[in-house]
This record gives sequence, C-alpha cells and structure tokens, in this order.
Amino acid sequence: MTLTVDERWDLIEKISKETVSFGKYRHTLKDAIGELTVKPLTGIPIAIAVMYGFWSFFGSFAGFFTDGFFCKLFDGYWLPWLQGVFPGGLGNWFYAIMVDAGHTENGILVASDNCFESFGVLTSGIFLAIGVVLPAIVAFYLILTFLEDIGYMPRLAVLIDTVLHKIGLHGFAIVPTILSLGCNVPAVTASRILETKKERFIMMTLLAIFIPCGAQLGIMQEVIPESMGLVLVYLLAGYFIVGFVLNKIIPGKSPEILIDVPPYQMPKWSNVGMKMWMRVKHFFKIAIPFVLLGCVIVNVLYLTGFIDWLANVLAPVLCVWFGVPKETVGPLIAGFLRKDLAVAQLSTIEMTKYQMITSVVLVSIYFPCLATFMMILKEGWKELLGSVAVLGVVVFLYGGLMHLIWILLGVA
Amino acid sequence: MKVLLMGHPNVGKSVVFNRLTGANVMISNYPGTTVDFSKGYMKIDGKDVEVVDVPGTFSLEPKDKAEEVAIEMLKKEKDAVVICVLDASKVERGLYLALEIIENNYPVLLALNMWDVAEDKKIEINVEKLGEILGVPVIPTVAISGKGIKELVLKIKEAAPVKVDKIVERTEGRGD
Repeated sequence: MTLTVDERWDLIEKISKETVSFGKYRHTLKDAIGELTVKPLTGIPIAIAVMYGFWSFFGSFAGFFTDGFFCKLFDGYWLPWLQGVFPGGLGNWFYAIMVDAGHTENGILVASDNCFESFGVLTSGIFLAIGVVLPAIVAFYLILTFLEDIGYMPRLAVLIDTVLHKIGLHGFAIVPTILSLGCNVPAVTASRILETKKERFIMMTLLAIFIPCGAQLGIMQEVIPESMGLVLVYLLAGYFIVGFVLNKIIPGKSPEILIDVPPYQMPKWSNVGMKMWMRVKHFFKIAIPFVLLGCVIVNVLYLTGFIDWLANVLAPVLCVWFGVPKETVGPLIAGFLRKDLAVAQLSTIEMTKYQMITSVVLVSIYFPCLATFMMILKEGWKELLGSVAVLGVVVFLYGGLMHLIWILLGVA
Repeated sequence: MKVLLMGHPNVGKSVVFNRLTGANVMISNYPGTTVDFSKGYMKIDGKDVEVVDVPGTFSLEPKDKAEEVAIEMLKKEKDAVVICVLDASKVERGLYLALEIIENNYPVLLALNMWDVAEDKKIEINVEKLGEILGVPVIPTVAISGKGIKELVLKIKEAAPVKVDKIVERTEGRGD
C-alpha cells in the first residue's frame, strides 16, 4: 500500500506529535552571526570583505612561494644546470623540446635565462606546474575549503540570488562559479544541482567561456600583475552580458530556489586536510600530464614551421579584427590543452599592455581546456555543441569589441 | 546485499559514508556537495558489503539532475537496505522521504544524524517510541565525531520491510 501526499503528511504529524518535543530555544551567538551575514544590509559588505580577503590571501600566498622560492630555484639553479648537462645543446631539436628552444637576437640564437621563455618540458613544464600553479591552487583551495566547511557558501547564494536571476540562474549558481575559479572540471559536474536544462546549459557555457581557473589566475598574477584587474573586469562583464542574452534567447524555465542555510560550524581540520589533499591530487592528475604534453606539442609545431604558417594564415583575423600580434597563434594552440601554459607563453611575446589584455582574454574565452571539454561532453553532446556555438560567436564579437574599445580610447 | 545511504541534501550522508567505509568522499557544509554516487565497502559479519553514497533528495519525485541520479539508483537496487539519514533537528521533513522508501518495500534504518545540533536546539526525540511506531531501527548519530555509527552497523541486519498500513494502525491505536 502507498499513501497520497496528504496522507503521508498527516501520518508524519501524528508520529511527530508522539515522539518529538521542542524545548525553549535560546538565541545564540552563532545565530546572531548567521543573521548578520545573510541580511543584505550587513551581509553584502561582509561578503565583499570576505571576497577581498580571499583575493589578497590568494595573491600573497602564491606570490610568496613563487617569487620568493620557486623562481629563484628554477631560474637560478635548475635551468642553468640543465642547460649545462643536457645532451644536444642549443639548436638541437630534442634539446629544444626538453630544455630550451632559445630565441633569436640580431639573427643569433640565444639561450633563455628564465623558465617562462625556455619553454622546454623539463624547464617551463615543470616550473609552471609546480612553481607557479601549485602554490596558487593550494592557496585557493585552502580558503575555499574553509568557507565551505563553516557553511558560508549558502549564505553567499542567498545574497547574490537577485543578481543571478537576471542571467537565468539563481543564487546557488554561485557554488559552481566559485568552484570553477579553482578548476572548471569539477564545476561542470557541480552544475547538476541546478534544476532545469536551461539553467544547466547557461551555467556550463558561462563557466567554460568566462571563468578563469586557479591555474590561469596563478600564472596571470605572476606574469601580468598590472593588467590582471582589467582582464578580470572584461571576463566578469562578459559573464553577465552573455548570461543576460542567453537567458533571453534560450527557451525554458529558471525557477526560484528554496535553500537550507545550515548553521555555522567549526571546520574539522582533518576534513579540511583531506579535502585539500583530494583536490591537489586531482590537480596533479589532470594538469601535469597536459602541461607537459602541451610543451611537447607546441614545441614540435614550432620546429616543423606549422605555427609560423598558421600565424600567417590567421594574420588578417588576429591583427585586423582582434588587433593582436600574429605570434599569439602559438599560445592559442597551447590553450586547447592548458590555459596556464597559454598565458605563460603569451607573456613572452612582445606587445603592448592593451594587446596583452585582449590576447589573455581571448585565450581565456576561446575554448575550454581539453579536460573541461571532455567533462561537458559527459553531460551531453547537445549541450557541448550548443556551448561551442555560443563560444564561437562570443569570441568573435567580444574580441572585436575589445579592440574597438582600445581604438576609441586611443591606445590600440 | 547492498546498503544505500539516502536522505535530504546536507544531512551528512557523505560523512556517514566515510565513517562506514573508511573512504574519503568530499564533504562540505552546504547542500549539493554530492552530485554523483560513490561506492565503497564495509564489513558485516566478516563479509564485504557494498555501500553507496547517494546524492541528496527531498522526495522520490526528482527535481534536478542530482536527484534523478539518486532515484534511479534506488529503483535499480531492488534488494538494497536503505539507511535513511535524517537531520535530527528537522525530523518531520526527513520522515517524508523515509516513508516513501518504506512504502516501496525497502528495509529501512533511520539514522538521526546531527543529534548534537538537535540537542543544542532543545529538541527532544523519543527514539524508542519512534522506532516502535515505524517498526524500523532508529539510531541517533553524530557522524562527524563517529557517535552512534557502531550501533548503526550492528542494526543493519535487523532492518526488514514494513507495511505502511501497520504504521498507520499503530498511530491510530494510540487514541488521538
């Protein structure tokens, strides 16, 4: 026998009358803090402070390890040592792939003096993964895990709900969005908590296009600290503009949400440690093979002349429409595999600050990295095709728009 | 035999899962952390029994993709024992899903998790009486510290399907 919905609730009422009793409840400090962080008047300033704190910690923690330790180690010892002992030497193709491709100055091939430029598997590959991205990832997840475990995320969701409704989502979409700032891959899976197909599609598309991952943020902080703010402004603006348009043109519903805001809890340090470990392990598994492979592929494409050829073919689009140097083709190819790698490579190309901003934004939005691409495919090939279509249009228009803005400002 | 962990989002199913199996699945203090199921093994009487951590769901009518995963899982595993994890401070709400699962003839155990939170909120639950009325084992737990988990494991064997009309009868028999 089964009950109807009403019968079931009736039964529950009878059962609980018999078994549950409520004592007098005292308002505690925890409740007071809970209310302060969720009511807009106090909650929004607190949220801004929390995000700002997040950001400063991320920057100083990652910078401390990368600049203070890894740069010195890799540029001062590791690179010169490899340049000395690795067989082949400058000009040899295998040496170029593994250690240093060098660059030409006045027609002479010169060795690189830092691990951003050398672009070998053993030099840049390992340096970027361990020296730059790893500290950034650790810093990011340390704060994220802490916020998750005390129970701050649902409160943030409540605060931002109204804004996210404008782009066809609701407050809870902040969870995949923030996860995505660490890595887009788990964020795509997390978008399953959204109710309708429309919401999930908008979410995945926006994540794939506009949210830079922790690895990319770490690299940007290192190589283009002075332009990073503007890059993020462009990405954030794009997130809302494209979300707004998608919400208008995609059929389907974006329902309201009811969420449980759990009480604050002291984080269990064993749990924080365990989660950190799982996330860093996940990073190693999906990032390091791709970074190393990316170095190999890009180097091979350079050595065979394919990149120079493609640069000339695409020059009209790149130089005229987007207003960036044609040499950005190399990083754009690397970006298929890893965004961090692509941004690092961009930083070694000679261009103006504004061209740099455009090209970093382009690298961020033009294609999700391979791992994210596979993840969206797992959620459904129709979604993937849709996302890629949106992406194509967005890259073309948004890139052109940025160029136009620079022209109007007189800096292009 | 398989053991499914089911319940509302953010009641601590994954914490119970980690306790039972010694595995490490991601747990956080917000609903919707688990969106896919994880499997693990625990020993009952020396035998390996599969345990599945199912994404949170409010009822057996799915409203998002994570809930669909949960309900499909339940339908597929006809001979599973279900540990229904409830937030002890919100028993009424949690009972809805528990009753639905009982009506579908699954052997059920209730874990009244976050018992400490309920105590803080001065909510008193008569565990014995609740077990008597429902006819299923009811165990208070605090999964994050491990309290009640041993008892939960011991009682898995005792879980048996219950007819819901018997439950209705037992509440009516109490002269209301």
